[in-house]
Amino acid sequence: MKARDAENIVVYDIRGQICPSCLLFTLREVHELREALKEGRIEILIKTDNRDATATIPDAVASMGYDHFVEKKEGFYEIRIMRHKQQKLAD
Amino acid sequence: MTPAILFIIIVNLALGLVAGAIMYRSDFCVAGMFRDLFLFRKTVMLRTLLLLVVASMVLFELMRRIGLLPLYPFPLLGSPSLGNIAGGVIFGIGMVLAGGCVVGTLYKMGGGSMISATAFAGLIIGSGLYAEMHPWWTAVSKKFSFLQGHITLPQALGCDPILLLLPVTGLAAYLFLRWHAQRRWEVASPAEGYIQPWKAALYLAILGTLSYTLIGMPFGITNAYAKAASYLTNIPVPMHVSQVAFYNTVPLKYTAPVSQVELHGGPGPFFDAIAYIQFPLIAGIVLGAMIAALRIGEFRVYFRVPARQYVSALAGGIILALGSRMTPGCNIWHLFGGVPILSMQSLLFLIGIIPGSYIGSRLLVTLVLSMRPEVSA
Repeated sequence: MKARDAENIVVYDIRGQICPSCLLFTLREVHELREALKEGRIEILIKTDNRDATATIPDAVASMGYDHFVEKKEGFYEIRIMRHKQQKLAD
Repeated sequence: MTPAILFIIIVNLALGLVAGAIMYRSDFCVAGMFRDLFLFRKTVMLRTLLLLVVASMVLFELMRRIGLLPLYPFPLLGSPSLGNIAGGVIFGIGMVLAGGCVVGTLYKMGGGSMISATAFAGLIIGSGLYAEMHPWWTAVSKKFSFLQGHITLPQALGCDPILLLLPVTGLAAYLFLRWHAQRRWEVASPAEGYIQPWKAALYLAILGTLSYTLIGMPFGITNAYAKAASYLTNIPVPMHVSQVAFYNTVPLKYTAPVSQVELHGGPGPFFDAIAYIQFPLIAGIVLGAMIAALRIGEFRVYFRVPARQYVSALAGGIILALGSRMTPGCNIWHLFGGVPILSMQSLLFLIGIIPGSYIGSRLLVTLVLSMRPEVSA
């Protein structure tokens, strides 16, 4: 499992991990990076092959006030987590 | 091989293929249903499990009433014992640590999961370990058994099953309609080819009913894990296997309903009824999931997983196997098959699996998923 920071997108590759690692891991990282996320300085990108996580992660981060975008790639899914649009407009 | 045995093999393989594909597409993880209740207070998947149980209850009773289930209760079930609860607790711990139950491990492995492949190895190792403790555990379980000679709750109460099934299904129907009105059945998932879990529950209830009608039993696979362990142990130490009491038991003895063939089977290293009922079902579930994953381009194998998770999967698989043999039976056997006919063993297993899942969830979060990820800039 590695993460890299490039162009303000923090990427986590958590493919192949035990359930429910994807959701727990994401919640922890979103919490850790909440200030930068809320200020729009960064976005988090999760790479996962867990089909369940494509539903549970967006559901959880939406309830925490973040926007999300899920996209299928070659054999896995990318879930982008970013600050809410309404918050951007307010800023 | 006789046509009757070939029929049994083909039916189980076909049922397994369809079940594996459905489970993969809907991510129908029973371990996750219990685990997520404790970790995330999430109940949507548990609702679908209840739907599956109640749908099976209705279908089994319907088939029994029209005379298509001559084996009622089905073979391999026995009188209740407090050992069923103990087995359920151990099973619950194991399935959460393994990242899936005995069937969840199969469909996830079919999708390419190395964690589940590790848990699969653990299941075979654990089944082999249980063989060594079988005489001791049988004595303990017998000591705590009760209502000898009675398998189901209606049998113990001496009443027609419908007297108990009607209020249960009636209450469930009320809840189902309420959840429907509250739109609590649908899971919003962007996963490609996703099958809504409530639909998967109904499909699996139909497949379980087909298995019960055509083979004489609903889905069950854990004896096959024990048989795989005996085959593997038999390679280096055949003398030992021949002396282990567990491998000489023949718990399965019945006449198959459609083919009318006499079937005998046990965990020993022989090509008997356990082998041609359960091995094709296992192969079918793995292949069905693999085909489903390949068709949408999702079959991938990832090895780079934290070592701690591999250890958890292996240990979980071993614990899961011990629980399944101690109960005896797995969650699919008991929840998809036994609970719908109100088998007392299955109801006790259900009582055990709940605290087991809670303990497993705490262990998983504390010991396995507590590490921070390796981060490189």
